[in-house]
Amino acid sequence: MSSLRSKSAQDISDLLDEYGIKHGPVVDSTRSLYEKKLKEAMAKGKKGKPSPDKTYYREEEEEVTYEYRTPVRSDGAGDSGSYMRSRPEWSEREFEHKTSYSSYLRSKPEYRGKDFVDEPAMYDTPYAYRNSYLNSTPMKSQDAPKAPKSSRLIPLWVQFAFFLAVAVFLYLVFSSMETNESLKGIE
Amino acid sequence: MSTTSQKHRDFVGEPMGDKAVTALSGIGEILGKKLEQQGFDKAYVVLGQFLLLKKDTEMFTDWLKDASGANSRQAGTCAQCLKEWCDAFL
Repeated sequence: MSSLRSKSAQDISDLLDEYGIKHGPVVDSTRSLYEKKLKEAMAKGKKGKPSPDKTYYREEEEEVTYEYRTPVRSDGAGDSGSYMRSRPEWSEREFEHKTSYSSYLRSKPEYRGKDFVDEPAMYDTPYAYRNSYLNSTPMKSQDAPKAPKSSRLIPLWVQFAFFLAVAVFLYLVFSSMETNESLKGIE
Repeated sequence: MSTTSQKHRDFVGEPMGDKAVTALSGIGEILGKKLEQQGFDKAYVVLGQFLLLKKDTEMFTDWLKDASGANSRQAGTCAQCLKEWCDAFL
C-alpha cells in the first residue's frame, strides 16, 4: 500500500475503484495523476473524490438573486397604501440589493416598470418620494440583521428622521379625522 | 450567462486539425511551452489526454495543473473548451 509506483496498472485501477474514483485507463500519461488521487483519497481515509474548484459559482449566485427579484417586481407595490405589503418584499430586495450592488448595475434588466431598481445609485428620480419612502421603511427593520454598510447615499439618520416625520404626519392626519366611532376603537 | 472568450469561440467553432497547443483556450505561451516539453505539442495530443481521462473536466483540470502549472481558472477554461469541442465534433 505504501508505494503506489511499484503497483501494476491493474492494481492502480482496482484501488481507484475501491475509492470510488471514476477513472480512465491507467497509462503512462495518466498514471501519475491517478497515483496522486489515490494518495489524497488514502490520506482522507474515505471514499469519493476530493471536491474540485468551482470557479463559476459567483456568477451563479448573482444570477440566483437576480431571478429572485422577478416575482417581487410584478406586484404593484408603489403607493403608500400598500406599503405594508411591499415592505417585506422591499426588505429582502434591499438586502439583496446591497449585497449584489455592482452585479445589479451590470446585469441591466428589462425592469422598466420600476425606475428605482434600474438606478439604484440615484434616489432623486421621479419616483424619489416613493423610493425614499419605501427605502426608509425597510431600513428600520434591516438594521439588526445586517452589518452597517456605509455605502448609502442618504445617511441612515436622515432616513430615520424622514420616516418619523411621515409617521407623525400620518398620525396627525388620522387623529384629526372626525368619525362617528371613537378613534381609539374603544367600544 | 457564459462569458466565453474569442479564443474559446475560435477553437470550439471548427475541427482543431493541427492547431498548436496554444490555440486552446486558457493556454498561453508559457503554459504551451511547458506542455510541449512534455510531448503535448499539438492541441490534439492534449485532446487525447482529455479523452483518456474520459472527458472528465475535473480530472483533466487536475492533470493540467500538475502538468503545466496552470492555475484553476486556466485549467478550467481549457477543460471547458475541450469539452465543448468534443460535444460539437466528436
